[in-house]
Amino acid sequence: MSCTLGEVKNRADFIIYWGGNPAECHPRHFTRYALTPKGKFIPRGRKDRTMVLVDIRETPSAKAADIFLQVRPGKDFEMLSILRALVKNQKVSASAVAETGLTLEQLTDLVSRMKAAKFGVLFFGMGLSMTRGKHMNSAAALTLAAEMNAFTKFVAMPMRGHGNVTGADVIMRYTTTYPFGINLSRGYPRFNPGEYSTIDLLVRGDTDATLVLGADPGATMPKPAIEHLRRTPTIVLDPKVTHTSRLARVHFTTAPAGISAPGTAYRMDEVPLPLRPALKPSYLTDEEVLKRIVAAVKAKPPWYPAARDGAQIA
Amino acid sequence: MSTATSAPPEPAKHELTVVKNAVCTFCGCVCDDIELHANAERIVETKRACILGEAWFKNHTAERHYPDALIDGKEASIDDAVEVAADILYKANMPLVYGLSNTTCEAQREAVWLAELVGGVIDSHTSL
Repeated sequence: MSCTLGEVKNRADFIIYWGGNPAECHPRHFTRYALTPKGKFIPRGRKDRTMVLVDIRETPSAKAADIFLQVRPGKDFEMLSILRALVKNQKVSASAVAETGLTLEQLTDLVSRMKAAKFGVLFFGMGLSMTRGKHMNSAAALTLAAEMNAFTKFVAMPMRGHGNVTGADVIMRYTTTYPFGINLSRGYPRFNPGEYSTIDLLVRGDTDATLVLGADPGATMPKPAIEHLRRTPTIVLDPKVTHTSRLARVHFTTAPAGISAPGTAYRMDEVPLPLRPALKPSYLTDEEVLKRIVAAVKAKPPWYPAARDGAQIA
Repeated sequence: MSTATSAPPEPAKHELTVVKNAVCTFCGCVCDDIELHANAERIVETKRACILGEAWFKNHTAERHYPDALIDGKEASIDDAVEVAADILYKANMPLVYGLSNTTCEAQREAVWLAELVGGVIDSHTSL
């Protein structure tokens, strides 16, 4: 269950940031969308909102919070599960609570505030979704927000990092029905994170060529994955010659999106926005280069076997 | 009204174009209220952008620091590079198309089409 940032601005009186540091990573999230702006039903802006920060350490975002809850590293799933139990007035064991590094009073106080809210939002960052538990943590956060709707309006939204990564999810969803990690080698889409996700494919050495677009895995990925990119032919499209370009067979310099390349980008709440580039492109755009590669591939015979004349599908 | 006294237009190189409600694609906030002042080469002012956005806008210019394409680290024409790239992806048994974050939806759609055409895997930063 999610909503747009416009709804957050106009309605949300209770905001949780979990495993994220917006003060440093999304600097305008507080001031433009979620915390300080005045909204239709939030006439006094910041004064009408309560903000809770859950993180493993006191980041600069804690200064903006009304309540800071320091969860023990790797215990996010446990804390979310306890909150879900408390929301339903179930008993929780003292030892389970102690494991999270928080007290029962802190957690019951959080739950009563969540229930008292008119419109609650749970923003979760990579501190939740990329640490121990990974997608199970995200699932627990989404379930907590969903279950809160028995008491009040409550939504969850991931704090997406890189520019248009939300657009990638949306585009892959509407073209293939899945959001990421999609294998098209049988001619139809198959989805299995862990099997068809990039790091797993590269570390296992399952791929024999890679096209990298709008990313620099050569600077960020684990060493075995980078070594595999170096061993197999890699193609890079990027506005700069990156770490990945240096180990690639082919590099294309392309116009940076939103600066000199026009197009569309999705905000983290899945609102699409048209880009307004301020500079004229001095290179081809990613779109133009890809269209040329597609045309060159299409000029070759199909890799899959042709249907026999009069063949019937059994 | 006199046109004779008006100053001659400045050379285009120093003229600033102003783009209102420009969109910043650095982080997932995708703020769409930025005012950009740019000359022919670079963005010189970024009103309302945060420190990350300002650095992002000013980091990219219209100058040509790199060749259009490189093959094995050597300068190449776009046509040659397209041929080599298409050949690599076509011949591969399990090609991967990866990234898709710092680019437009229009390019992402082409990337999906390319992955389907070569029978490969397509994946984004989401899977990290």
